[in-house]
Amino acid sequence: MNQHHPDSLTLMEFSAGNMTEPHALCIRLHLDQCSQCRSRVDMLDSLGAVMMEQQPQVSVSGSMFGTILDRIDNDPVEPEPLQHGRPLNPLQKLLGEDLTKLPWKRQLCDASVLDISDHFPDQTEQVVLQKLTAGGRAPAHTHRGQETTIVLQGAFSDNKGVFKQWDFVVLDEQDVHKPVALQGDDCITLSILSAPVKLTGMFTRLLNPFIR
Amino acid sequence: MITQKNQTHTAIRSAIKERPVSTLDQKPARAEGRKDPWSQLLEKVGKNQDREAYHSLFQHFGPQIKYYAMANGLASHAEELVQEVFVSIWRKSSLYDWRKAAASTWIFTIARNQRIDMLRKMKRTSAEMTIETEDLWQIPGDNENEPVTSLHRLMSERRIRESLSHLPEEQTTVIAKVYMENKSHQMVANELNIPLGTVKSRVRLALNKLKVILQDQNV
Repeated sequence: MNQHHPDSLTLMEFSAGNMTEPHALCIRLHLDQCSQCRSRVDMLDSLGAVMMEQQPQVSVSGSMFGTILDRIDNDPVEPEPLQHGRPLNPLQKLLGEDLTKLPWKRQLCDASVLDISDHFPDQTEQVVLQKLTAGGRAPAHTHRGQETTIVLQGAFSDNKGVFKQWDFVVLDEQDVHKPVALQGDDCITLSILSAPVKLTGMFTRLLNPFIR
Repeated sequence: MITQKNQTHTAIRSAIKERPVSTLDQKPARAEGRKDPWSQLLEKVGKNQDREAYHSLFQHFGPQIKYYAMANGLASHAEELVQEVFVSIWRKSSLYDWRKAAASTWIFTIARNQRIDMLRKMKRTSAEMTIETEDLWQIPGDNENEPVTSLHRLMSERRIRESLSHLPEEQTTVIAKVYMENKSHQMVANELNIPLGTVKSRVRLALNKLKVILQDQNV
């Protein structure tokens, strides 16, 4: 059972379909594992359906139903291909099943990063995977904009609590955090940064050029 | 209306008899009226490829979806979207399960996904999409037999419809802009020239009254 969920307003924007792709990916990965949020999104989808029903209606052209029937007659339903093994989540489909085998770039002894923004060409935010070695510490940092994070593997803790696999958290300018990965498993997170991370510790000047 | 209710009642009873949904919540009285007429029609399309039922759904939902497309940035492709949505409804109808969603909710999610897909395809000039639209926006296939949740869901649409009419207009306006005009809360704030915090608190108040908020942190 997850402790940290997206708030209802975020889920509402997901339900309405008003989100950039990386944000939708984070929500989708959380929903995969969280029945509580799935049922909230179900309710929000019902709200969407009721909103749609209460708007004005615009008549459709008389020939359209015929066109639709032609299409379904000429293009019959193909059976879904059989899935072998465990289905991959959308991120694994994009990057491969084993996230630990990706070409990580080490930044500090405990921290590695992989920028995957190129997979989302339609938006301006930075999308990164971050990895902290089990038990490792990341440098203290703050965020100039907003950072949306979902934990993909392992867990980390900071002054706000413990964040486990599939937990969802949004940090902003006020949050200076100093994450520590829990023992056991390396902690891998997917984060969307609306502006670059700012280091606050003594390495600031040295490292900021690398942590873009 | 009363006749229809009784028919639905009988249909529900037999459906429950066929497939007991739960030991907690089997009383037919509590299931009464859950299966609205649109859900019955959609089920007929899924089970028997019933074209008459399909046509009735088209007549009811087609004009709604056309307006949805026009309001959501697809003004010159509105009829195209209606077509895509209905072809998709036909193809997916065998997967429809009235216990999991009312037809209108199910159709809304198809319209939303097709709208996103169409906008993505129009924006993207090169190559293929990196992640399929459905992988991002389709709620993952639910565990079978979450009966309490499914009854809860089916009740929610009716409750939302009833309580929405009691909300102050300033709250429904904000929600309508998010759902019907593809606007983020920030964009709604800009348009109405009010602070983002005001938009958020209006939405929270509304969601509270609609009982959509179950538990929110930092609220």
